[in-house]
Amino acid sequence: MERLALTKLNNKEYMIPERASGSFVFDLATANDEVLIRINNSSNVDLLLLNLKDGNNIQFEVADNVYLNVATLGKNDIKTFKITANVGYKSTFSAYFADFIHGKVKSDITINLNKEGGTCNWHLASLSMNKDNKEFDVSAYHNAINTYAQLDNYGVCRDEGKLTFSGICKIINGSHGSKAHQNAKIMVFDELSNGVAKPILKIDENDIEASHAAIVGKINDEHIFYLTSRGLSEEEAKRIITLGYLKPILKGFSDDNMVQEIENLIEGEM
Amino acid sequence: MSTLVIKNLHAEVDGKEILRGIDLTINEGETVAVLGPNGHGKSTLLNVIMGHPKYIVTEGTITLDGQDILSLTTDQRAKLGLFLGMQNPSEIPGVINSDFLRAAVNAKSEKPISTYQFYKVLDKATKELKMPFDLATRSLNEGFSGGEKKRNEILQLMLLEPKIAMLDEIDSGLDVDAIQVVADVIKEEQAKGIGFLVISHYARLFDLIQPTRAVVIVNGKVVIDGDPSYIKRIDQTGYEFIKTELGIEISKPDNNMNTVSIGSCAVKDAIK
Ligand SMILES: Nc1ncnc2c1ncn2[C@@H]1O[C@H](COP(=O)(O)OP(=O)(O)OP(=O)(O)O)[C@@H](O)[C@H]1O
Ligand SMILES: [Mg+2]
Repeated sequence: MERLALTKLNNKEYMIPERASGSFVFDLATANDEVLIRINNSSNVDLLLLNLKDGNNIQFEVADNVYLNVATLGKNDIKTFKITANVGYKSTFSAYFADFIHGKVKSDITINLNKEGGTCNWHLASLSMNKDNKEFDVSAYHNAINTYAQLDNYGVCRDEGKLTFSGICKIINGSHGSKAHQNAKIMVFDELSNGVAKPILKIDENDIEASHAAIVGKINDEHIFYLTSRGLSEEEAKRIITLGYLKPILKGFSDDNMVQEIENLIEGEM
Repeated sequence: MSTLVIKNLHAEVDGKEILRGIDLTINEGETVAVLGPNGHGKSTLLNVIMGHPKYIVTEGTITLDGQDILSLTTDQRAKLGLFLGMQNPSEIPGVINSDFLRAAVNAKSEKPISTYQFYKVLDKATKELKMPFDLATRSLNEGFSGGEKKRNEILQLMLLEPKIAMLDEIDSGLDVDAIQVVADVIKEEQAKGIGFLVISHYARLFDLIQPTRAVVIVNGKVVIDGDPSYIKRIDQTGYEFIKTELGIEISKPDNNMNTVSIGSCAVKDAIK
């Protein structure tokens, strides 16, 4: 599938025009560390971000009535990066982040739902292994009425890997009709690995709906029993349960090569 | 012809003895109805046969065609031809049902089934079970209704073709039509000679699948192993006759635990 390029405005700013519809690609390797991407009104965009790099500070200005799906793969060594999205009227910011970065990582992801009807669907699948130490701070701020955020963070840690999911969902006073759902799940493989999930809700308004769930733990023995009772070996059972944490991220990737690359990473590492 | 033989089986969970000397034989081609009051060890028996790690066998033997299976892992038992349709099948997020089914089919066969062949078999089986095909493409049992989960168990039975199939309250959660559908599948498998061990509290399913024997488990023991007419009797009059005619007191499973905890409270009070 042919993907369109973003329009370059200057050394920092790029944009997708009004009412654009289609698949786009942006190669971060060719740009400054700091980039601002404007998605203009009424566009419907599937954006593939390539080559996320250390020190990236990426800001999305999502205008009104936009549907934006961003998919990206993190790999190799990245120490810090930052993603911010400012979401406009009745716009959706949907993001899929497949994390196979190695080493010590600190990230900061902030979604500001600044106007009525703004929606954020955030999905992260993260693998922490071989003494990786990663922290994903994913926060959503409900600054307007009828805003919606669903933050799903899934991770697997093994072989002395450490993984932390933090971040807050904040609904400010007056943002009635808003909904915030945080969901953090980490599967910890062995005693030397460490998973921490601490989703925080801050609610300053009554007429809202909010939930948060955090599950950190070993593979459920009942699940292993179920699968082995059908003839799968214990190793195979553990493998497919683990894949179940990571593979759903592929839903957000429409690029066949990228899907293949992530599948190879998942299958290869597990 | 396969035979599963259980002798003097004792098993415990969390240090509490649940099975207290089970003797039972199931031959291929037989359908054995298993009944008994709640909490008396029916599910435990099936879980022990399948090798659930929570249950510790303290005494006794289980053999399939003469081979000891207690020393085998759960997957080895499955490969030998044992199948357990569970009372509460696990929901496993992110694991696509059809991927799992295919892995299970492949685990049993020498060479992997082709995609075409697999979907042909799957399509046929789901149609027979009147299951919406999209259940195959969803996460394993996740968000399935009670009845859908039970049908998914039967789907696995059809795909795996075991020698001895154990079904734990497969009829609970099924509507009347679904019980008929499941019974039809069981009858087909019976005709192939598969042996069944079927737990249910209700005569309806048994009426449809015509067991060859009825077994009643009370206090972790087989207290009746006889002809299927017991099913009707229990359905109509309950378990009272076990006490009046056989002189077996039906214990409330929780009694022991209560006395223990009262005891320890009393000790605490005494220390204070
Ligand atoms: N995994 C477990 N952990 C703790 N206790 C258990 C476990 N499994 C079974 N038990 C206990 O063992 C006893 C027998 O349970 P089991 O599930 O075998 O009963 P059952 O005969 O199948 O009952 P029902 O008809 O209600 O399904 C019960 O007291 C139950 O609480
Ligand atoms: Mg039971």
